[in-house]
Amino acid sequence: MSAWPEGMRRVNRAPAILLGVWALTLLVSLPLAAVLRGMLAQHLGRSLAADTAASGVNYDWMQEFSDQAAGLGVTFKPTIIGFGAVLDNLSAFMDNVHRPAVIVGAASLYILLWIFVAGGIIDRYARDRATHAYGFFASSGVFFFRFLRLAVVQWIVYAFLFGSMHPWLFDRLYPRMIHDTSVERTAFLARVALYLVFGLLVAAATMIFDYAKVRAVVEDRRSMIGAVTGAVGFIQRNYAAAVSLFLANFALFVIVVGLYALIAPGAGRTGASMWIGFVVGQLYVIGRLWVKLVFWASETALFQNRLAHAGYVARPEPTWPDSPAADAI
Amino acid sequence: MRRRPIIVLACVLIGSATASAQPAETGALTPPLSPRNASYTITARLDPATRTITGSEVITWRNITTKPATDLQFHLYWNAWKNTRSTFMRERALGSTGPGPAGDDAHRRADEWAHIDVTALKVGGSDLTGLKRFIAPDDDNPDDETVMAIPLAQPIGAGVAVTIDIRWTAHVPRTFARTGAIGDFFFIAQWFPKLGVLQDDGWNCHQFHAATEFFADFGVYDVSLTVPSGWPVGATGVRRERVDHHDRTSTHRYYQEDVHDFAWTTSPDYLERTARFEHPTLPPVEMRLLLQPEHAGQADRHFDATRTALQYYGEWYGAYPYGHITIVDPAYQSGAGGMEYPTLFTAGTRWLAPPRVTTPEGVTVHEAGHQFWYGIVATNEFEHAWMDEGFNTFSTARAVAQVYDPNYLALRYFGGFIPWVFGDIALRRETEGNRLAGYRRDAKSDAQSTPTFRYFPATGGSITYNKTALWLNTMERWLGWPTLQRIMSAYFEEWKFRHPKPDDYFEVVNAVTGRDLGWYFDQVYRSSNVFDYGVQDLKSARDGDHYRTSVIVRRYGEAIFPVDVAVTFRNRDRVVEHWDGNDRWKLYSYDRPSQAVAAQVDPDRVLLLDVDYTNNSNTLEPKGGAAATKWSLKWMVWLQDCLLSCVALV
Repeated sequence: MSAWPEGMRRVNRAPAILLGVWALTLLVSLPLAAVLRGMLAQHLGRSLAADTAASGVNYDWMQEFSDQAAGLGVTFKPTIIGFGAVLDNLSAFMDNVHRPAVIVGAASLYILLWIFVAGGIIDRYARDRATHAYGFFASSGVFFFRFLRLAVVQWIVYAFLFGSMHPWLFDRLYPRMIHDTSVERTAFLARVALYLVFGLLVAAATMIFDYAKVRAVVEDRRSMIGAVTGAVGFIQRNYAAAVSLFLANFALFVIVVGLYALIAPGAGRTGASMWIGFVVGQLYVIGRLWVKLVFWASETALFQNRLAHAGYVARPEPTWPDSPAADAI
Repeated sequence: MRRRPIIVLACVLIGSATASAQPAETGALTPPLSPRNASYTITARLDPATRTITGSEVITWRNITTKPATDLQFHLYWNAWKNTRSTFMRERALGSTGPGPAGDDAHRRADEWAHIDVTALKVGGSDLTGLKRFIAPDDDNPDDETVMAIPLAQPIGAGVAVTIDIRWTAHVPRTFARTGAIGDFFFIAQWFPKLGVLQDDGWNCHQFHAATEFFADFGVYDVSLTVPSGWPVGATGVRRERVDHHDRTSTHRYYQEDVHDFAWTTSPDYLERTARFEHPTLPPVEMRLLLQPEHAGQADRHFDATRTALQYYGEWYGAYPYGHITIVDPAYQSGAGGMEYPTLFTAGTRWLAPPRVTTPEGVTVHEAGHQFWYGIVATNEFEHAWMDEGFNTFSTARAVAQVYDPNYLALRYFGGFIPWVFGDIALRRETEGNRLAGYRRDAKSDAQSTPTFRYFPATGGSITYNKTALWLNTMERWLGWPTLQRIMSAYFEEWKFRHPKPDDYFEVVNAVTGRDLGWYFDQVYRSSNVFDYGVQDLKSARDGDHYRTSVIVRRYGEAIFPVDVAVTFRNRDRVVEHWDGNDRWKLYSYDRPSQAVAAQVDPDRVLLLDVDYTNNSNTLEPKGGAAATKWSLKWMVWLQDCLLSCVALV
């Protein structure tokens, strides 16, 4: 379990990465928020309905907006308020709820950006020393296409899990399980059991792909199939450590979400309280990102700890050659 | 007809006195409150293993019309669930998104469908079983077997009574329309061959439709039900006796006078609780609750909600006369929740039911309230469902607001199991209670005056429930509650234990108000037009030492209603104009020393049917940008969290 605090230490020693991925999150979300803002402002126009919408919740207006909304606008619902937003997304994840195309598009872009930076991030944590921007982006560039190939494998696996396994579990098996159930608690327990099954499958896949990325970076692997089989082998050999670490990181996720449940701001007002609420929301987002990075950093640390030389990275640290012009001077 | 206003006013004056008819713990009511022209003595046995009911009944029917009956027509409702070709199932499929049957219907096992077969029928001792035939008066569907007709060789004259003996068997379905079984839970309604209502223009005996409910004459029900011993039974009326048999079954005999239907339920799992409703001026009511074990902690919530309905409906409209009421908390997935029957109703709650949210209170008040609007004032739900569902939705919202205000929005997550209460969103009676959002989506789907069974099935509920509640609440805000309360109590008093039609209600309205409000009902009842008033433009610019202000208000919708127009000036002066709302637009101009800051159509929101209230106002100090920023920032956190959920897989 030393890999766990080690992972946290490595993430904390590289705050630029945390800020960078937060910036990525803003980069994707801000334009869409601006678009939605335009929709809301247009619908409110010069109406006095805006007064109550500004000072609290004007639920009548929200419903009127929803009834005429299209595209991005259909996602503007009461569930976005406070911790409801988190519940909505967790629930949608576990229940495989389809999102509007524009959200799927934004998520795809966001995932693509993460695939791009994943190599740089893991390389930074593997080396456990500053790689600077050029080192970071060099690694990102080196591993981008490898991770794109890995993403194809991931897509196939997740498409199976969410496209076939989830419908089988929840649309076929679950209705059969509860067909004659007349007690809600029993039905809930059945659903929780299926959540566990599905969650374990997703977690297993995620863990394998995490270690595939770690092995690809640390061992400079070019074959992503090889990286995946290597990851499976590593997890098999270090089953207890890998699972314990995953559970410990998952506990971090639960803690961050739990803390946000306690402090998530409600609708609030405009002005200072609006910005305070936004800052709290961003702290939560940063917390989630931190957990995500701790997953990678701790898994990297665990893998390296199992090698003969902890801190080993096969690929030399990238250095930029001096330009010929400089030589000529 | 011209004496009606006098009758109505007299009813208002004496209403409180006549409303306190004797409550009875025996199911008997003296003197009779209704014509009692269709009385049923039923014996039925339930076999839970095969889900079969074997029954026999003796109907004592009296022709209370002015014309002879040449045939008899019976509802056989359970044949609606015999296959997918019935009118009920075809209409139900109209509301589904797929090409086939609705929802789970396509996956039902053979034993999950229902049927009812009349095996013998005698009228006045003559066996007419061989003459039975199915008719489809509403749509000529040859596959629909929900109405059975028996031609009579000897017509039954006006005022003549006849005895009808019927034997039948029926298979209990997995629940359709709140009727059926799951596990050991049985809720049995619309279950026996039941006469239609003979009127002067013939039988009113509609087929079973997907979006409508029922209609029947009042009578006396004496029903003996045989079920496994130890299984509690809840039923319309009062249990008069229980006989235990050697074959581990028990027969429960229930009795009730002056009701027009009989439903019952049994399950070995029920917990039984009792409580009493008491009130200084209303008769006491014994309350019996059959509760699911997993809801054991919610008994008081059910009783309090039932008390709320009995109190406020009693105070506003008239007393509940039966002296007892049974509340049934149906089993999970039974699909039996939220339905009314005489002296019995099904509520509906969840395992996790947080406080400050009106589950189970909302549905409990509503279904208890149906004892008044449906049970006592017995409208034809096939044709005018809005007269009970709409009146009751309005009344529910009003009663809930008396006791459960504020209550909050709760959304459910993780398969609908986990509730989360949004403390920022207090639900308002006028909009959420009357279900404005649902109405807005379906506002043009049907004119309310269309017979309910001809509404488009998927949207009929919005016209039946929501639109009525909204136009009643609009009347309350327009005429004042004292006036509307007098209207409703006069209507209740005049039409209790009878079958009123829409014009009967409108006549009471005109009589009590002393005005002809036909124009209003032309808008809200006889038309599918929508109301939408708005401020098109507000300008206020300096002109010398004054400000020239112009306000253009507009009628965007087709429906017409008089509205106020309020213009507020910077010096806090406020001008309120009264616009008859007829023209498409109207200009108001002012030369005043102060600049206008806002104009608003219908500032007090009298017209709750206005489908777009956001456009009702216009201000020169708009906060739309600030509000949009606030909400888009909230939304952005949701989006970021959504993105993080996705990237967890990377």
